[in-house]
Amino acid sequence: MIGDNIIRIVMLAEVGLLVFAVALFFLHGVWLNLTDRRLQRLSKAARDSVAVLISRGTINVEELAALAQQPDDVQVMAFLEISRNVSGTGKERLRFIAEKVGAIDRARKLCEHRRWTRRLRGARILSRLDVPDPLVRTLLADPHPAVRAQAAEWAAAQPSEEVISAMLALLADPATQARFAVQNALLRMGGVIAGPLAAFLETHTGRAAEAGLRVAESVAEPSFVAAALRFSAVEDDAGIRVAAARLLGAIAGEAAAARLTEMLKDPESRVRAAAAQSLGRMQHWQAGSLLFDCMRDSAWRVRKEAGLSLRALGAPGTLFLRRALRSDDRFAADMAQQVLDLPATAAG
Amino acid sequence: MNDILHTVVNAMLFKAQGPVLAYFFAINAWYLILLVSALLELRRHMLLITDESRHLLLSSTLSPTISILAPAYNEEATIETSLRALLALQYPNLEIIVISDGSKDRTVQVLIDRFSLVPVKTIYEQRIKTKPVRMLYRSSTYPALVVVDKENGGKADALNVGLSFARGELVCAMDADTLIEGDGLQRMVRPFLYATDVVATGGTIRVVNGSEVKHGRVLKARVPTHLLPGVQVVEYLRAFLFGRLGWNRLGGNIIISGAFGLFQRDAVVTAGGYLHDTVGEDMELVLRLKRLSYEKGGPGKIAFVPDPVAWTEVPESAAVLGRQRDRWHRGLADVLWRHRRMMFNPRYGVTGLFVYPYYAFVELLAPLIEVIGLVTLGLGLAFGMLDWKFAALFYLTAYGLGTAMTAFTLILEDLSFHRYATFRDRALLFWWALLENLGYRQMTVYWRLRGLWKFIRGRKEWGAMERKGFQAVPAASAGAGTA
Repeated sequence: MIGDNIIRIVMLAEVGLLVFAVALFFLHGVWLNLTDRRLQRLSKAARDSVAVLISRGTINVEELAALAQQPDDVQVMAFLEISRNVSGTGKERLRFIAEKVGAIDRARKLCEHRRWTRRLRGARILSRLDVPDPLVRTLLADPHPAVRAQAAEWAAAQPSEEVISAMLALLADPATQARFAVQNALLRMGGVIAGPLAAFLETHTGRAAEAGLRVAESVAEPSFVAAALRFSAVEDDAGIRVAAARLLGAIAGEAAAARLTEMLKDPESRVRAAAAQSLGRMQHWQAGSLLFDCMRDSAWRVRKEAGLSLRALGAPGTLFLRRALRSDDRFAADMAQQVLDLPATAAG
Repeated sequence: MNDILHTVVNAMLFKAQGPVLAYFFAINAWYLILLVSALLELRRHMLLITDESRHLLLSSTLSPTISILAPAYNEEATIETSLRALLALQYPNLEIIVISDGSKDRTVQVLIDRFSLVPVKTIYEQRIKTKPVRMLYRSSTYPALVVVDKENGGKADALNVGLSFARGELVCAMDADTLIEGDGLQRMVRPFLYATDVVATGGTIRVVNGSEVKHGRVLKARVPTHLLPGVQVVEYLRAFLFGRLGWNRLGGNIIISGAFGLFQRDAVVTAGGYLHDTVGEDMELVLRLKRLSYEKGGPGKIAFVPDPVAWTEVPESAAVLGRQRDRWHRGLADVLWRHRRMMFNPRYGVTGLFVYPYYAFVELLAPLIEVIGLVTLGLGLAFGMLDWKFAALFYLTAYGLGTAMTAFTLILEDLSFHRYATFRDRALLFWWALLENLGYRQMTVYWRLRGLWKFIRGRKEWGAMERKGFQAVPAASAGAGTA
């Protein structure tokens, strides 16, 4: 039998828990409301100050002092918001103002903090303001992948030899090579990465090389031809051969075309499809008859890419497609019909 | 007869009390673990996304292409609004495929008229067997929009057709009447950008009823004033912010809502696409992908991302809601039955040893155990075999713990996204949280049991769903429920 006291205690405990939850929920709401209002007021003032300071050629000491008096978080919020909309001289002024009010120093300290969340915050502030600080470069080797990825975002605007080399090391790191931030930052650096990336491709294999080939395809420099040719012959990794075929298609040229035509006989269908697609992309009309043969391939995607590539070759390709209509292979004839039926603007 | 009943109740009350109490405490202890896990995961997530710059994704050639698959069946009322919202999504490489699954109303005609569709031919590989496609259209004003008109074959069949036409590396499966927030895809794609082992991601689903909607955008989230949609707001918050987020940290997510999920297209096609003969096709696919990753290798991580939000209209009548819950429970039973080999099987790691048994013993059987408990309690009191004080204590403890968990979920929402900002909405949320256990919960137990019974009898129908359309949610009546 349960005593009245126990029931009373349990009821009281439950009521207490509920009252605590209700109080927490509503008090948090009140606190949020007040904080939001205060933040809105302060951040508007801070934004206005930063905007005035940036737009004027000279620094207004009073305005700067007013900004410096704002809470740190409000200053950072204003800097980050405005950083999206300025570049060149505007960004330089923004950095100057941030330096003057101590925001950059505080961000540097955050970068050295023992907690990864603080380092991430520091790296975010410095990268959004494009601060060329070697401290962020050291974060490219941070133990936490999110911090490394953030440092990679910073690196896109700092394409020095050391930074590129550190970025390529991230590309080789299994924890970050898949990260969009790393590949995208390398891509945004532009042509300067061609030499180091070609050297990277000389020395790396596997997933690291595949990630490198993906970046190289977007840069499409002739200096990648040697690497692409080498990787196109890697026997045990079809993924790398596909990436190499795509890179060859992006670079184009005689050597690329010759290798791609050989790759049409690759044992893996996705490699043959990528080779056919690349030949179409290069508009290498000399490959017309080989692509015509590919219309009889056993794999649907190879037939499709071959058909679309023939279409991309223009009149010579169309002739091959019409010939394929009369093929004794009904799959080839069917694919040719589908390609010829496509509207002129369709990509297939 | 009375003696037999007396003996049975006596046995159930006194012989089974140990296991029942153990079950009760185990479940509540587990919920507490999930709550703490959700709190930690949410904190980590908020720290990661604060001040992140997603604009790089918008301008990069490396952004993965996404094909949105929106199956539509008799969606004449909502299709235009939903589609305009999809076309306004902020994502660079986007393709939208609407699949009309043999709609009998004017769905296709509305699309042709409003989006200047023209018939086109395209090359596609039918790797998954589906019902025939009648016609394919492309919009002459929105090049990214493709509409497939096919014969009726169900949602799974429509999604499979969409998979055949999709060109994206990733496919986003959704319901045609779901409203995805503008930056939802940018947020949802994150796990795919960070890692290679992710096969699917899911976002949060929220209830749109009562909110202010304009041009397919939720301008102001409000909590409905009607009981059924109101309680469902609380339910959805608990399911996503507490359940899925908690499981996320523990590596045990196996559910991605059919209304908003992002998948690696190749993995889905290789797995054979969506199954036709189940009413739980979304969960079945996720569990199959997970299972295949253990059996054959390849990516198998299922990630829940809390900040991308899709809004959905929930049923406002008990009959429609009952059909939905009955179907969900039949789906769960069917999926667990199909993959029963995973139960306690160490080959399937955490999923086999913890997640699957949790879904089987807690999610699937909970209504059965609850109803047995309630009936036994009632009979025990009626026969005078039970101290009413004990019964009251037990019920109040269970009720209080449930309400406290829900209350802490509301606090989680408030600490992170706080979409319901006004005092009125907070008060309503709390009110619905208190009321949930008084009648509503018991109704869902009945519907879930009905679903279980229908599963045992082999019934697989979907049941009709009624939609009122987002345009019917006027700003002036916001808060008064869907008009």
